[in-house]
Amino acid sequence: MAIPLKYNLRNLRVRWRATIATALGIALTVAVFVMVMALARGLKATYVNTGDARNLLVMRKGSTAESSSQIERSKVLLFKYYDEIARNERGDPVASPEIIVLIQLDRLDGGNANILVRGIGPIGFELRPNVKLIEGRLFQPGLAECIVSRKISERFAHCRVGETFRAGKRTWRVTGIFDATKTTYESEIWTDADEVREAFSRSFYGSVLLRPKDAAAGAALIQRLEANKELFVRVLPESEYYKEQTKNAGPIQFMGGFLAVIMSIGAAFAAMNTMYASVGARTREIGTLRVLGFRRRDIYLSFLLESVLLALVGGALGCLASLPINGMATGTMSWTTFSEVAFEFRITGELLAKGLAFAVVMGVLGGLLPARVAARKPVLDALRSV
Amino acid sequence: MTIPGFIFRNALRNKRRLTLTVLSVALSLFLFTVLQTALREMSQPQLSEQSALRLIVRHKVSLANVLPSKYQSRIARVPGVKRVSRLTWFGGIYIDGGNFFAQFACDADALFDILTEVTTNPDQVAAFKKEKTACMVGIKTMNRFGWKIGQKITLRGTIYPADLELTIRGVYSGGIDETNLFFHHEYLDEATGWHVVGCYWIQTANADAIPDVIRRVDAMFSSSSAETKTETERAFQLTFLSWFGNIKLLIGSICTVIVFTMMLVTASTMSMAIRERTREIAVLKALGYNGRQIFGLILAESFGLALAGGLIGCVGTRFLAQNVDMYVLSHGFFVRFEVTPHIVAAGLLIAAAMGVVSCLAPAIASVRASVLDGLRELD
Repeated sequence: MAIPLKYNLRNLRVRWRATIATALGIALTVAVFVMVMALARGLKATYVNTGDARNLLVMRKGSTAESSSQIERSKVLLFKYYDEIARNERGDPVASPEIIVLIQLDRLDGGNANILVRGIGPIGFELRPNVKLIEGRLFQPGLAECIVSRKISERFAHCRVGETFRAGKRTWRVTGIFDATKTTYESEIWTDADEVREAFSRSFYGSVLLRPKDAAAGAALIQRLEANKELFVRVLPESEYYKEQTKNAGPIQFMGGFLAVIMSIGAAFAAMNTMYASVGARTREIGTLRVLGFRRRDIYLSFLLESVLLALVGGALGCLASLPINGMATGTMSWTTFSEVAFEFRITGELLAKGLAFAVVMGVLGGLLPARVAARKPVLDALRSV
Repeated sequence: MTIPGFIFRNALRNKRRLTLTVLSVALSLFLFTVLQTALREMSQPQLSEQSALRLIVRHKVSLANVLPSKYQSRIARVPGVKRVSRLTWFGGIYIDGGNFFAQFACDADALFDILTEVTTNPDQVAAFKKEKTACMVGIKTMNRFGWKIGQKITLRGTIYPADLELTIRGVYSGGIDETNLFFHHEYLDEATGWHVVGCYWIQTANADAIPDVIRRVDAMFSSSSAETKTETERAFQLTFLSWFGNIKLLIGSICTVIVFTMMLVTASTMSMAIRERTREIAVLKALGYNGRQIFGLILAESFGLALAGGLIGCVGTRFLAQNVDMYVLSHGFFVRFEVTPHIVAAGLLIAAAMGVVSCLAPAIASVRASVLDGLRELD
């Protein structure tokens, strides 16, 4: 027969000082783990949300980012009217030649960052239906106007509607704010492609984003474009391009794992200390339990369970403590484009479950040896101890 | 028995608990030291003394915008400029994306007149200057990939549409960054046909000339198609480091959490150790030890325990960092990873403080407890 759970719960309550200290140690470990992983997940999710699987991205062969790709205007004209590319209601091909430049802007809270300026055309908006204007109006080509994302306008100087900033040969006026929630566009400034090329002395476009008629046409188009030696391009689904960039979260994820492992060993040591002390102080109780007919196995399980319970309390506290950062905005530099990416901490149910599982592991590690000591105590000696 | 002997015996009475506690303090301080070192590398520019005389000229808009190569001769004529080299980030891939290291196109003749702090072999430098496809590589990167002098390597261009076939003609060591690869700018120009420059690297004649050089260079190009921003190497590096943004704040907060966790662990252990001895402490009091002496005994034990953990954690990390190549381990992310004496001292100080703070509550309680209650206590 198993020892009732109530016995363990009461014990934890009686030794509340040790319980609280140990549980808090585990809680902090779990909280650090969940927060760092939430950061990595937020960054990853931002990239994954950005790419649309239906779109294809055409870049120069060999370049790994839009910002380092160049495609001459004449080459764009060579393939823009291919049959495989979808047409919009006006009959224009749904293909958007775009150009990206980096400009340095001052953060409102000090320091500066590289911001990605994307030159696009009307088709560019059609290809990204999730981007919505929330304030002001669109830019008009030829007037050095631009629209900025909501996050940029909140975090950087001179980026509210009506304000101006200098970049390249022009002074740009902000005419609108757009919302592109949870995508990397949330970290960009958009304006007219040809104007960007002129202002930043670029003779070429950077990349072309296009929509094939259907999946089959897409596959054919990839083959046709990549086989063309003259174009010298690489074509990949937009979703894949952004998926590749999730590797930017690598160092953060590594840090999360590293911290979690080391801190959890420390926390497991603390749990072990507590459990050893608990076993030592209860020697007579253990003897009594044995005399009452509980077997060694029951005692072993009971103490292990107590350790896991202790860790679970800690784990739950840790998860609770980490919750407030869910959705908190932050930013870091993308090593792919060398520009600032804004994103949000993202805590999912799965991540919380992982945090709890992690706590259970700490509890088991901390409880195994003390539970064994408890189970092996000889009955008579245990009863005799003061 | 002497007093230190008594304290020592007391600490050793439960070896299992002692080991666990010292190890958990050591682990916390290991983490603290590693994070502080990472934080230092991410927030403080790593500069040599010689770099104080150097300036970097870049495009005003951002680093990703390039400058015309014709600027070089004009910059060279500015009074106060001793030597100038083109310096262009190539950003090529060696075999695959995981092998990141910095590669720069430069003027082979000027390079080591500007980068004066590194050690090179004159024969190797001469061979490097002679051959257009030659390159000089930092010793750390040489070791990382097991390269030999004379070996040919290919860098796949990502920013520039060209794959470069380079021959390693020399190695440099010393200086702050021993991981870079330098090759001839002429080779890049030929391979791409572009003739553009990322930055210009200036060696000034003396420190007094710097403000003047900065002003003159920027004024010279202020109305041209590519305006420049000239800054000291320090300012240039600070710009890079500011890009890490909130990550630094995150690491700082984690350090605080770790210190706090450490305090919890030691405090809980100390109170366990003291409660277990309630009767003994009462006996000591009955023997005539006063409260201050008993407090001292407990304090010394806790202090020693925390400091032992701190020593293992901090000094161990320093030893580890000196013997493990973090540059290879982090795939090129950390260039130096230097655990400075300063960081070790900070860690030890925290450990010592924790040792004192964590025993305060249980020590005070046991000092205040009455002798009779203590003697009556059972376990």
